[in-house]
Amino acid sequence: MRALVIEDEAAVAQDVAQALSAAGFVVDIATEGEDAWYKGSVEDYDVAVLDLGLPRIDGLSVLKRWRSAQRTFPVLILSARNDWTEKVAGIEAGADDYLGKPFEMGELIARIRGLVRRAAGRASSTIEIGELVLDTHRMSATFGGRPIRLSQLEFRFLDYLAHQNGRAVSAGELAEHLYGADEPGDSNAIEALVVRLRRKIGPHVIETRRGFGYLLAGDGG
Amino acid sequence: MPRSLRVRLLLGASVAIFLALAAAWVAMTLLFERHIERRIQADLIRDGRQLAAALSVAADGTPALEREPGDSRFFEPASGLYWQVSTPQGTSSSRSLWDQHLPEPSDANSLEWKSRVLQGPFNQQVLLVERFIRPGRAGADVLIQLAHEQRSLQEAREEFGEELASFLGILWVILSAAAWVHVELGLRPLRRVRDEVETLKRNPRERIAAGHVTEIEPLTLAINELADAREKDLSRARRRAADLAHGLKTPLAALSAQSRRAREAGATEAADGLDQAIAAARSAIEGELARSRAAAIRAAPGGDIAIALPLIESLVSVVEKTEFGSKLVFEVDIPEDLQLPVASEDLLEIMGALIENAARYARRRVRITGQANEGGVMLVEDDGPGIESEKITEVLTRGGRLDEAGPGHGLGLAIASDLVDATRGAITLLRSELGGLKVTVAWPAPNLTARR
Repeated sequence: MRALVIEDEAAVAQDVAQALSAAGFVVDIATEGEDAWYKGSVEDYDVAVLDLGLPRIDGLSVLKRWRSAQRTFPVLILSARNDWTEKVAGIEAGADDYLGKPFEMGELIARIRGLVRRAAGRASSTIEIGELVLDTHRMSATFGGRPIRLSQLEFRFLDYLAHQNGRAVSAGELAEHLYGADEPGDSNAIEALVVRLRRKIGPHVIETRRGFGYLLAGDGG
Repeated sequence: MPRSLRVRLLLGASVAIFLALAAAWVAMTLLFERHIERRIQADLIRDGRQLAAALSVAADGTPALEREPGDSRFFEPASGLYWQVSTPQGTSSSRSLWDQHLPEPSDANSLEWKSRVLQGPFNQQVLLVERFIRPGRAGADVLIQLAHEQRSLQEAREEFGEELASFLGILWVILSAAAWVHVELGLRPLRRVRDEVETLKRNPRERIAAGHVTEIEPLTLAINELADAREKDLSRARRRAADLAHGLKTPLAALSAQSRRAREAGATEAADGLDQAIAAARSAIEGELARSRAAAIRAAPGGDIAIALPLIESLVSVVEKTEFGSKLVFEVDIPEDLQLPVASEDLLEIMGALIENAARYARRRVRITGQANEGGVMLVEDDGPGIESEKITEVLTRGGRLDEAGPGHGLGLAIASDLVDATRGAITLLRSELGGLKVTVAWPAPNLTARR
C-alpha cells in the first residue's frame, strides 16, 4: 500500500507519515504543490492525504490536475479551513473525503483505510443496461452519456439491480442488501432512494413491478 | 444650573419675558401718569384762560370776575378742583376752596403758566398751575392759580397699573407657552438624533441619516465617523480572533500527536489530560470561528441571493462521503428556482451544519425540503431519535456559549442557529413525521427588510 502525504507543515507531515507507516503504508511526503502534483502524476498511490494551503500550487488545483489526467486514486483532504464552502469545493474537485484540522489521528487512519478498502474492492468493469452505464471502478454512472453523481448507497442500489438479469427485487431484499441482514428492513428508505434516483437519472430507468419490486428498464425481461 | 437644556431654555425665556414685561409695565404706567397729568394741566390752563378773560380789577385793587368757570366741582367744597385770583389788595376764589387758600406763588413775576405739585388745601396733594397777568397798563399784577387734587390721578394710575399688570400677566403666560413650543421645536432635531443613535446602538451597521439641520449635521457626521471607527476596530479584532483560532489548529494537531505518543509510551493519565485540554481548545476554536463568521454576516451589506438546489445538492454529495452519510438516503425536494435571501457561502454553512447534524443521528433517511414562503423556508428532517422537546431550547441557546458545547452533539445546531440569526432568519426544532428531528429555517421576505 502506498500513500502520498502532502502537507507543508513538517511536524504534521511527519506525524501523519509515521501513523500511516505504523498502519502498514509506504509513505511519500510532498511539502509543496508542484512536487505533489508531479509525484501523484507519475507514481501509483493507493491513497493521498492532501493539505489545501500549499506553496507554489494550491491543493485544490493539484487535485483538479490529477483528476483531469485520469489519476483516480482516492484523495482525502486535510485542511485547517473547516467551512462548507471549502468542503464542497474539495469534493467537487474530486476529493473522496474531507477532514478538518485539528484532527484525531485515529479517525484519519480509519478514514484512509475506508477509502482504500472501497477503492480496492472495485472490479475494473462497466455494466451497461440500456442507456445507463455503471463504472464499478470509479463508482460512477452515466446516463445517455451524461455523467451522474451517485452516492455510495445509490450506486450499490443500482449495482445490485444491474446484477439481477431483469428480476424484480423487493424493497425488503434491497434493504437487506444495503443495510445488512441484522438491521430491520425499511421500505420507506428504499422508496425514498428510488424517488431520488429517478429524479437524478430520469423517471423510467427504475421500474416498479407492483407486488414484486424494482427492476432496471431495458434489462432483459 | 439645571441639567436639562429644555428647562434651562424655558427658565431663561420666561425670566427674560417677565423682566421685559415688568419694565414695560413701569414705563407704560409712567407714560400714562404723565399723559393724564398733561391733560389735567391743559384743562386747568383752559379754565385759567377763562378766568383771565372774565377778570377785572376794582378800583380798590381787589379782583372781580364777571363770571365764574362753569365746572360744578368749583362750587362743591373740597371737591379737589380749585381756582384763586389774587392781587396784593384782595383775593377771590372758588367756592370749593371754602376757607382755604392756595399757596404762595413760587415765582413772583412769571407771566407764563407754570405748574408744580405740592401740599395744598384740605391737606390734599395738588397739581397747581399759576401765572400773573397784567389787566391794565398800570394796574397791579393779578395772580391766577388753579389746582387739581392728585389723589384721583393716583387712583387712575393704580387702576391702570392693575389692569395693565393682569393683561401683561396673561401676555407673559402666552409668551412663555410660545417659548416652550419654540424650545420643543428647536430640540426636535436632537430627539431625532437620539433615536437614530439608539438604533445605531442596537445595530452597529446603521448610520445616522443625512439631512439633519445645519447646526446638528457636524454632530451626526462625528457620530457616524465614530461608528465607522468602532466597526473597523471590531472587525479587526474579529479577524485577529479568527486568525488566532486558525493559527492554533496546526499546533493543536501537533499536540494531539504528542498525546498519542504519550499514550503509546504508557502515560495514559497524562494523555487523557492532554486530550481533554485539546478537546476544550478545539471547541473554543470552532466556537470562535462560528462567532466571527456570524459577526461577519451581520456586518455584510446584505441583499445577497442564493439559488438553493445546486448548493444543497453539493452539500449532500459532501455529506454522502462521510461515515454517517454514506449509509443514508437523502431526499432532496427543493424547487429548482427557489431563491433564498442569503449569501451562497452562508447558506452552505447553515445547511451544511444542519444536514451533517441530521446525518449524524439519522437511521436511514434525511429529507431536505425547500419552500418559497416569504423569503424562503428550508426544512431538514431525519428519522433518528430526535431531541426531547424540553432539551430543544438548551440545544439552541448553546449558540451563546458555543465554546462550552463541546464538538459533536448539538454544536452543529448551535452554529446553524447562530448563523440563521445573523442572516435574520428564524430556526425552529420540531419532531419530524420521519420520527426524528425537524429543523425549520425561515427567512423573511428580502424586500420587507430592505424597505425598513
